[in-house]
Amino acid sequence: MRTGLKLFNGAMAVFMLAPLVIVVLISFTPEEYFALPTTHWSLRWYREVFHYPGFVDAFLLSLRLALLSAFVATGLTFLAVYALVRFELPGRKTLDGFFMSPLLVPAVVFGIAMLQFLNLHGLYNSFWGLAAAHVMIIVPFAARAIMAALHDVPHQLEWAAMNLGAGRLGTIWRITLPLAGRGVLAGFLFAFIISFDEVTTTIFITGPAYQTLPVRVYNYLTDQIDPTIAAVSSMLILMSFGLILALDRIGGFKRLGR
Amino acid sequence: MASAISPDDGRCCEASAPRRAAPGLIWFPLACVLPLVVLMLGFFLWPLVGAIVNSFHPYSLAGINTAHWTLANYRTLLDPFYLGVLWRTVRISFLISLITAVLAYPVAWYATRLRPTAQAYLLILYVAPWLVNVAVKAFGWTVLLSPRGLINRSLMSLGLVDSPLPLMFNETGVVIGLVHAHFMFVLLPLWAALGGIDRNLLWAASGLGATGSAVFRSIVLPLTLPALLAGMIINFTINMAAFATPALLGGSRVQVVSTLAYRINLVDLNWPLGAAMALVLLAVTLGLVLAAQRLGTGRREASA
Repeated sequence: MRTGLKLFNGAMAVFMLAPLVIVVLISFTPEEYFALPTTHWSLRWYREVFHYPGFVDAFLLSLRLALLSAFVATGLTFLAVYALVRFELPGRKTLDGFFMSPLLVPAVVFGIAMLQFLNLHGLYNSFWGLAAAHVMIIVPFAARAIMAALHDVPHQLEWAAMNLGAGRLGTIWRITLPLAGRGVLAGFLFAFIISFDEVTTTIFITGPAYQTLPVRVYNYLTDQIDPTIAAVSSMLILMSFGLILALDRIGGFKRLGR
Repeated sequence: MASAISPDDGRCCEASAPRRAAPGLIWFPLACVLPLVVLMLGFFLWPLVGAIVNSFHPYSLAGINTAHWTLANYRTLLDPFYLGVLWRTVRISFLISLITAVLAYPVAWYATRLRPTAQAYLLILYVAPWLVNVAVKAFGWTVLLSPRGLINRSLMSLGLVDSPLPLMFNETGVVIGLVHAHFMFVLLPLWAALGGIDRNLLWAASGLGATGSAVFRSIVLPLTLPALLAGMIINFTINMAAFATPALLGGSRVQVVSTLAYRINLVDLNWPLGAAMALVLLAVTLGLVLAAQRLGTGRREASA
């Protein structure tokens, strides 16, 4: 029984990692097709990536988009959640539900609604239309992380600061934010990675001029498959794992699923 | 207000101390909430309401004919073709949740028996694939599952099969890809629930002669059922909305609501019909979620 359980869990670990490991291995083979096992290794496809401007431009766009969206979403959500946690605002429950509601709406549904909305208001194929959609998608994730962080900050410390003459915003800036810093940073990183990797909503609203990296990867895959895409994918996997390790360091995973 | 400013008192007094930083103060929290509320009203609620409105207008070649109102888009969706796609989407999404639940139990069970450091590594192992880009995951599965992929070539060179197994460009591929992509949504709640079970209960049961499966049925399953249901509901909703995985692993033969909606909105440019489809998907998803939650609370009350 015990060995059976271990074997099963080993198999599950392989199942979870296999599609990622295989992509990384493929990216280092020199052949035009997917040749594993291979006799020798090469960096050919990584050079290819940087000679294909589509991927570089898309990466820079995704980076700008994810940074801006995560920054706006984390900032506004922090203020809003602070008000919900620290004050007895009428309709607190409703507001809380409203901030989490993007999670309830399937990504495709929001994508379709946003496509029609942006088109009717002349925002289609624009950076700001994409950014607005991304902020909506990541608000619930930021809100959850920040709410957990704020509950851990003793509000007596804020009172003390205000008693000693600090203003409200000064108190938030100098007392609350540093104390809740890790949680807020975790919220920011979650927001960033979800925005950076978003495909389902984004694919409905990216115009030809603004294709994010995941959308470009998706379109490339529907068209052709060669190891260039393995090299791009490997870099994306590396980035995801980097962010995951950072999140783990600051304790961002502790509250997941609770 | 000045009575409890010692930092050590922070936690213990949380429950008894008043929440308000200043009684009656309303403008400050309102000002804090306002920017996000305005942004969400403008870019979340308005687009959704707009889609509802669009779905009741007729389609015209110029776009949406806003001068007239109609139910024709919803009538179109009653066509057996569209109903078939919706049914397939629901069926596959549910199958994925079910398979995920069956696979997640042994993983969660194993995980709760490990030391905390080992548990932390295992957590990363199962969360990481979720945070890797969907298109990248689908690409990895393509390399493994396609007719000339690694698995089929290995099986054929070992002489185990004569012709490639149909592992993708069908529902099998979609199920494999989505079980993998959304695994943690069932695993994490289950993990937390299993970790919270008092081990003495299990020892007592087996000490009194209960078999392994009896312990599972009469103790483990009832105690973890709320967590299992919660996880399966989230898992189900995101399966319903998945786009890139069914498109890349299912191919053109496995149309689901999201891939069909993409075609209607961006290829046919029939926005009213596309909006109607989005709303049907939203209604079906929310309806099934509410039904499942009701079932869950009913069960819990019955067993209490």
